[in-house]
Amino acid sequence: MIPLLSINQLTFKPTKKWEFMVPSTDFVLGPVDLTINKGESIAIIGQNDSGKSLLAKLIVGAVTPTSGQISLNGQQLDPNNTKARASDIRMMFRQSSESLNPGISIGTMIEEPLRLNTQLSPEMRLEKVLKTLTLVGLMPDHYYFYKHMLSEGQQQRVALARALILDPQVIVADEPFAALDPSVRSQTVNLLLTLQAELGLAFIFISHNLGIVRHMSDRTIVMNEGQVVEVKDTQAMFADPEHPSSQKLINAHKALLTY
Amino acid sequence: MIILDIKNLTLEIESNGVLVKALDKVSLTIQENEIRALVGESGSGKSLIVRAISGALPPQWIVTADRLTWRGQNLLSMTRAQRQAIMRRDIAVIFQDPLASLDPSATLKDQLVESIPQEFIPKGWPWQRRKARLRIAQQIMRKVGIKDVHAAINKYPHELSLDICQKFMIAMALVSQPTLLIADDPTRGMETNTKQQILTLLAQLNKTRNLSILFVSHDLIAISAMAHSMTVLYCGQSVESGKMKAMRRRPLHPYTKALMDSAPSFSPDLIPKSPLVAMDGTIPTLQHLPIGCRLGPRCPRAAKECVQVPEERSINEHKYRCHYPMHVESV
Ligand SMILES: Nc1ncnc2c1ncn2[C@@H]1O[C@H](COP(=O)(O)OP(=O)(O)OP(=O)(O)O)[C@@H](O)[C@H]1O
Ligand code: SF4
Ligand SMILES: [Mg+2]
Repeated sequence: MIPLLSINQLTFKPTKKWEFMVPSTDFVLGPVDLTINKGESIAIIGQNDSGKSLLAKLIVGAVTPTSGQISLNGQQLDPNNTKARASDIRMMFRQSSESLNPGISIGTMIEEPLRLNTQLSPEMRLEKVLKTLTLVGLMPDHYYFYKHMLSEGQQQRVALARALILDPQVIVADEPFAALDPSVRSQTVNLLLTLQAELGLAFIFISHNLGIVRHMSDRTIVMNEGQVVEVKDTQAMFADPEHPSSQKLINAHKALLTY
Repeated sequence: MIILDIKNLTLEIESNGVLVKALDKVSLTIQENEIRALVGESGSGKSLIVRAISGALPPQWIVTADRLTWRGQNLLSMTRAQRQAIMRRDIAVIFQDPLASLDPSATLKDQLVESIPQEFIPKGWPWQRRKARLRIAQQIMRKVGIKDVHAAINKYPHELSLDICQKFMIAMALVSQPTLLIADDPTRGMETNTKQQILTLLAQLNKTRNLSILFVSHDLIAISAMAHSMTVLYCGQSVESGKMKAMRRRPLHPYTKALMDSAPSFSPDLIPKSPLVAMDGTIPTLQHLPIGCRLGPRCPRAAKECVQVPEERSINEHKYRCHYPMHVESV
């Protein structure tokens, strides 16, 4: 079977102008090898600055890799043509407050990818936007809201709506649950689990919430200083982390639970 | 002793042209040496409460309260200067968005040194005092876990990563050695190790320095690790408050129950990938608040009486607003 997404010897070496965004000048990401199947959830965990977000950006094509390839359904993706993959692999960014434009209404913002990537009529677009708003737990009213009128968690839901609107095959999400409140977070987890079961959506997410990681993901990847140091089935990872950085993260999580 | 006492705080704001009660009769108290968690869904008004306490509200918003007092002094009727003095020395606030609350045009050192109260600096020549200030600043930055203090201290906020800014906000708040720390989502998005470090520091200050803390968060694991008591907010109303242990074991309000059920880590027997227990629907917008109990449309226990706003009732220390509470028999 051809995996949905396969990542082959992917590396990234920052050039000079990237310097301020990475922890140290000798930072190198990868090489990373990884395959992801339809309907699979993969969690990426690791310390801050371990390269998690960078890996996510490389997968969606927001950053061009130094070397290596990514294939979707066996088709190698052109690293310079990010538009082609835009509707199949969607990114949900961490700081929704940074990634949402304050000057346009929420509805227009969610509609934008539809306008750019599909031939749908305005009526069909409106219908799709309203459906997606409800899907992520917002109200049809929110169509006419502006960013500043939403709380942080509501903004995060807008980001999820924007990611889902093109019916992608892969969603890559950087901290999708961090700003969500518990009841909506459970709904979002359930929503993603359902979407995965129904549509075979693959989900790659970065999270510090190890409770959710453990519940949702099939496999967990631990990153440290730009390297993937351990990949295992999630339940095995939590039962028996081997690499010191995996142990550190998982033990800290368990320590919080035993108060 | 109660240090901060809030009784029936109501905040009316104009949103999309109509006046709405973004906070409706919220009550909250903080005892000396207490760590109280304030939890609630996104948009439930947690940050508005923080802003109402600190006085950082636009002038056209209407604040009313039966009580809003700091050690018995009425915060609403005192002069601006008196209130500012309290906010400078007794109550420190960590606002939710670190970048928006730091001055982008000043280095960390300048901002931090500015917040050190004069009386902490020993008398001496100006250069001695300058040195003393720098020492205090570096000390507190180290304490909150900023690794390379020498490099960070001369930088501007935008040159630093978000988690360093978050830690720096905590340093800024702690440097005046406040009696009460109000922390609005201080560990949001932090990785587990860093989070644990911060929580340990706060718990330790609570023990050794008697720091009281109002901990605003929806990180239930962090909250149950450190808070003594908890107030749950839904849609601008305080729905339940009491001791942490009691509320975890026997929540009275259906919303608190839903909240507790939503943390998979609290249910060790949960099968991976099984659907989580979640309350249907979502928090309504301020323009379409249901009448009566605001949870009504989402509440599995709702019945006829729920179209009336439930009054606050209490069983010992445990307060709740619900017509059909759970577990009452067993309390
Ligand atoms: N400046 C404003 N103008 C109009 N409405 C506002 C404004 N600020 C906040 N609100 C509304 O007030 C309500 C409470 O917002 P608040 O920021 O207190 O939520 P919160 O509980 O802190 O949420 P979060 O967990 O996401 O931080 C929300 O419905 C929000 O839309
Ligand atoms: S008052 Fe009624 S609607 Fe409100 S929480 Fe209680 S049972 Fe539910
Ligand atoms: Mg808030």
